Amino acid sequence: MTFRISKMLLLLIGAYFLTFIQSYWHWPRLLLGFQPDLTPAFLVFVGMTMGAGYVSSMALATGLWLDSLSANPFGISVFPLFFVGWVVFCVREKIMTREFMAQIYLGIIASLIVFLFQLILLRMFSANPMIGWEMVFWSLLNAFFCGLFVPLFTLSHKAFGRWFSHPSYEPNKWLDNNRQIVRGKD
Amino acid sequence: MKQFFYRSRQTAVGAVLLALIVLLIIPGIARAKLKSTIGGMFLPAIGVSSVGNNVLGVLSSKSLNPVQDEIIDQALDSDLKLENIHLRAENLRLRAAADWGLRVPWRTKLAQVIGRDSFNWWRRVKLNLGSQHGIRSNQPLVSIEGYLVGRITEVGLKTSWAVLLGDPNCRFSALIKSSRQQGGIVSPRRFNSNYRIVELTYLPNDIEVRPGNLVVTSGLGGAFPKEIPVGQVEDSWLSRDGLYLEAKVKIHADLNRLEEVRILTEY
Repeated sequence: MTFRISKMLLLLIGAYFLTFIQSYWHWPRLLLGFQPDLTPAFLVFVGMTMGAGYVSSMALATGLWLDSLSANPFGISVFPLFFVGWVVFCVREKIMTREFMAQIYLGIIASLIVFLFQLILLRMFSANPMIGWEMVFWSLLNAFFCGLFVPLFTLSHKAFGRWFSHPSYEPNKWLDNNRQIVRGKD
Repeated sequence: MKQFFYRSRQTAVGAVLLALIVLLIIPGIARAKLKSTIGGMFLPAIGVSSVGNNVLGVLSSKSLNPVQDEIIDQALDSDLKLENIHLRAENLRLRAAADWGLRVPWRTKLAQVIGRDSFNWWRRVKLNLGSQHGIRSNQPLVSIEGYLVGRITEVGLKTSWAVLLGDPNCRFSALIKSSRQQGGIVSPRRFNSNYRIVELTYLPNDIEVRPGNLVVTSGLGGAFPKEIPVGQVEDSWLSRDGLYLEAKVKIHADLNRLEEVRILTEY
């Protein structure tokens, strides 16, 4: 199994458990009054750190899994998730994606965009979900959670990289810098 | 390399668009089957989760630390008293449930709530019984105490989805018990985080609706049997056009804390 496939497998497992937890862990709903949806944060993370194939695969898998556990028309969540993941993927070289605050802002904006897109698509498919001002408040709160989870996903990705992959080979780097003979005029 | 990069980008976008187009054009039945199949991928996780819960329950009842045991012994007296109160309450609840089972002529099956809709704008629960257990679409759901909860909407082999009261897809005829005036139960017009609030609408505008009036199912339309308790009126008002009355109804069943439900299999 190549590293590329195993990375894809890990991401799929992550997306699977994320959608499972959102549907089967009831305590956030009891505690907060609503069920947070962290999939936009996940797609932002994938868009920031992975390739185009990963973004489309994750958007498809996560969107279809989410809709299979919901009364939403099947496949309606795929496009909003793909859109945010793709936009982040396309502009990631131009924005400061390594900055903690930038990641938080990206998560917040992505969550709000996904929420709006989903509502528009639901209306287009003549579904009548319950909408009100309270839902808007919840979506803002959910956006805040998504903002927090983007750096969390990124940190866990870095940790996984450290644990499961070989350290990168740098021929000019000494293991112990104190033992390096510094050559120069002084 | 650059060319390949652009090509892989195009492939990625193309794959998503193709999948969406396929989902749009396939017939509704095939789409529903696909949805059910993909939803079935979570069955292993549900199994592992329930086994894990059981194991955790057993482990938490056993202590490995003797010092902790001593502390627990000291606290046991007060704990036992508390437990006694809880058990009495539970006993009363189950007795009431058993009495209800004896009183009604319907056959029921006890089901566990194992999941909820991922999105906050729907009110649906997933149950651990499916067509394998004789569950069919549109069978009514009542709480352990016998209050109306909702109805089955989608049936899989081992699990099923039920729509709860207050969901936009759960509308039915109900009546005010004292005056026998009929109306329709619908979801609240504006989203309400309180799962126990629904609206009773299309009531005649010449009747008096008071807070505390009990609301039961009317049996009209055949969706639910007659006289299942639904809730009680909290407030009422005249509709905008003045043609009918509307009322805010607080339902008896606490839908947010549902753990087990009864499915009426023969009614």
